[in-house]
Amino acid sequence: MRLKHPKFLCFKDKAGSFSFILASISIIILFLIIVFVLNEGIPAFIELGFSNFLFGHRWSPYYGDFGAFPLLYGSILIVLGSLAISVPLGVFTAIFLAEYSPRWLSNILKPVIELLAAIPSIIYGFFGFMFLAPKIMEFLDVSMGKVALTASIILSMMTVPTIVSISSEVIASVPKEYRKASLALGATKWQTIKSMVLPAAKPGVIASLLLAFGRAIGETVAVLMVCGCVPQIPSPPWNYLEPVHTLTAAIALDMGEVSWGSLHYHVLFGLGAILLVITFIVNMIADFFIKKAPRGVQI
Amino acid sequence: MKTVKEKTVLFLLAFSAAILLLAFVAITLFIGVRGLSAINFRMITTSIRKGGIFEPIIGTLYLLAGTIAIATPLGLATAIYLAEYAPKGKINRIIVQALNNLAGVPSIIFGLFGYAFFCRFLGLGISLLSGWLTLTCMTLPIIVRGSQEALKMVPKDFRIAAEALGTPKWKTIKDIVLPTATPGLATSIILGISRVAGETAAILFTCSVVLTKSLPTSPLHPVMVLTYHLYTLLVASPGTSMDRAFAIALILLGLVILLNLLAYLIRMRYRRRWKW
Amino acid sequence: MEVVGVKPKIEVKNLNVWYGANHVLKDISMKIPEKRVTAIIGPSGCGKSTFLMTLNRLIDLVNGARVKGKILLDGKNIYNPGIDLTKLRKKVGMVFQKPNPLPKSIYENIAYGPKVHGVKDRKTLDSIVEKCLRVVGLWDDVKDRLQDSAFELSVGQQQRLCIARALAVKPEVLLMDEPCSALDPTTTRKIEELIQTLKNNYTVVVVTHNMQQANRISNYTAFLYLGRLIEYGPTQEIFTKPKNKLTKDYINGKFG
Repeated sequence: MRLKHPKFLCFKDKAGSFSFILASISIIILFLIIVFVLNEGIPAFIELGFSNFLFGHRWSPYYGDFGAFPLLYGSILIVLGSLAISVPLGVFTAIFLAEYSPRWLSNILKPVIELLAAIPSIIYGFFGFMFLAPKIMEFLDVSMGKVALTASIILSMMTVPTIVSISSEVIASVPKEYRKASLALGATKWQTIKSMVLPAAKPGVIASLLLAFGRAIGETVAVLMVCGCVPQIPSPPWNYLEPVHTLTAAIALDMGEVSWGSLHYHVLFGLGAILLVITFIVNMIADFFIKKAPRGVQI
Repeated sequence: MKTVKEKTVLFLLAFSAAILLLAFVAITLFIGVRGLSAINFRMITTSIRKGGIFEPIIGTLYLLAGTIAIATPLGLATAIYLAEYAPKGKINRIIVQALNNLAGVPSIIFGLFGYAFFCRFLGLGISLLSGWLTLTCMTLPIIVRGSQEALKMVPKDFRIAAEALGTPKWKTIKDIVLPTATPGLATSIILGISRVAGETAAILFTCSVVLTKSLPTSPLHPVMVLTYHLYTLLVASPGTSMDRAFAIALILLGLVILLNLLAYLIRMRYRRRWKW
Repeated sequence: MEVVGVKPKIEVKNLNVWYGANHVLKDISMKIPEKRVTAIIGPSGCGKSTFLMTLNRLIDLVNGARVKGKILLDGKNIYNPGIDLTKLRKKVGMVFQKPNPLPKSIYENIAYGPKVHGVKDRKTLDSIVEKCLRVVGLWDDVKDRLQDSAFELSVGQQQRLCIARALAVKPEVLLMDEPCSALDPTTTRKIEELIQTLKNNYTVVVVTHNMQQANRISNYTAFLYLGRLIEYGPTQEIFTKPKNKLTKDYINGKFG
């Protein structure tokens, strides 16, 4: 009697089964990451208490204070600051690329934007540390240049390419027929873009903003070098000219110095777990919007 | 009047684009100008103990080589499976979803995972091998995504013609699909290399150390890399050794720009040829 | 070629159009009468759609298109450099071959044009929407679902929606590029009847490859072949006593 294989395992040749096994490694890796980060992080939540950890206001690991709230606040503060810069800049550039830019200019802009996306974060950190922070200190007359504003600016440089590349593709893929119809009714080019193209492209543009958020909040090295690493909530809370600390910077800074298995060690993994959850949620929402976007969009 | 509005809008949009160009130029000039004056042959070939940057360069190359050697076959096989064997269906969607999620994981999490799993759980310690494996996990989505695209662009007609002649599937893939998709596959590998070369957070505590006794002689040794070395130079001893810092920054920036331009050119050139 | 006795709304003088090196329209001159239906017939590829696009300067959007000659709308050349295109296209509306509703609700599709031209008052927009939908015979079908997406309508209804949309900006001229070619015979009849009623208030120019349709609905017919205007006159004459041999052959189905 012959055994029946489930349909998807019925390969015509061995190469198929072999590549299936290799392909499933991706699923295994993701699974392992979730398991191990949670496994090492949960002891921190248990020992400190979930709300003490998450909402505690003091982060002084060397004195035993593990309140993650200043870190969470710092992360969100600089990310929102970066979006305030990168969203208008990114969307406008995307519209320019998709609707107005002559071909020779697009052929310069597109590679430059791809390169901006590819520049390693340590280089951005270097640039922020050596150039931007001193300039901010000088021009805004503050006592230190490594503040939330600097981090936001650097983050916006790093995430603008995401917004531009996805948004410009989405905008360009809005069908020509709609534009012709709008122009035939007597609308100007900008009216067509504002009232017709952009609303049609909205889901894709929103997805790009979410992805930019996700990338910004997970950024470590660049932020580490320019945010100041002071775990505090600025006063007033929207003061971007004060140093802050972030989830990512805290993990990177402390990890080299903790002893394996200590509470501090588990706490760092706990921060990682928080970060992982935030990133997954943001990506899930972005996914939802991508599916609503016009066809042909790649992340 | 409408034309004034149109012109203002155009100006605003073009201005935004100009700011981006300016940002790129600023970074490139800032690093390039001082980096070029700081770097010289002696620095590259001298050990760090004597003020050079030789070990981090070699370390980065070792790290790159190993990661790509592992990640490329794995990534290719995954992409082939997704594009050729099961392009539709539930398993495909699960794998693609897993890859999309992996792509969104911050690199510091890969660092944490790498430490907990490869260094500790598997007992590999802070070593080149741990670094290879961690970075493979991180680079996999990039290689798979790019390769999948490249494979999808191979026209169906080629495959149908081969199968009509009775070629077994794996041979069709090996002799026809893969060679045709080579430019795209090469592009995805190049982009993977670029990502690994510039990575810092994922290697911070999985393979990289501040100082090694000598160059690693086995994969179980830790290694010095350019990215982490740059970090330590800036944070540990600010003010001194700025020349070395700029030199490293120049190497990294230059490498990344070259690799990405190469990938861009390959894509552009073959995009024209791909209009069969 | 002249049409005697009726005031011309549009005068085309020595119109030449090139797509790159391709000479697509060759020295066309004609007078299109006001408040009548003028049909443009001819085999595929002879330039009918191109001709239509010159009348509202939508040809400006085509890469590499060059236009020489004059087109006078109410005596003014629309190819003068100072011409306000938005005003032109408000006056000269267009309905396309394949229905192209905007990705918006039924209501918003019709309200889009007036809004673009500055109408803001909700009540005014409401009444425009209702009026235009009534004219095209869609009001009863859609009055309870104005907020539904325009794509939920059938193809025939979408085309009628597009006509209503064009009418909403109160044009004087209506250009229609093979408006029924994507539709079934029943819907085609409905739209042909609609066109008959429209001519009381608008100057209509219809491009069609369907000769029977031209015969049915138009007052004047122009026959284009390979970019040239071969013959132009009252529809009756063109179809029963064509003066040109080419016209005769085309009408008798000998080619095209």
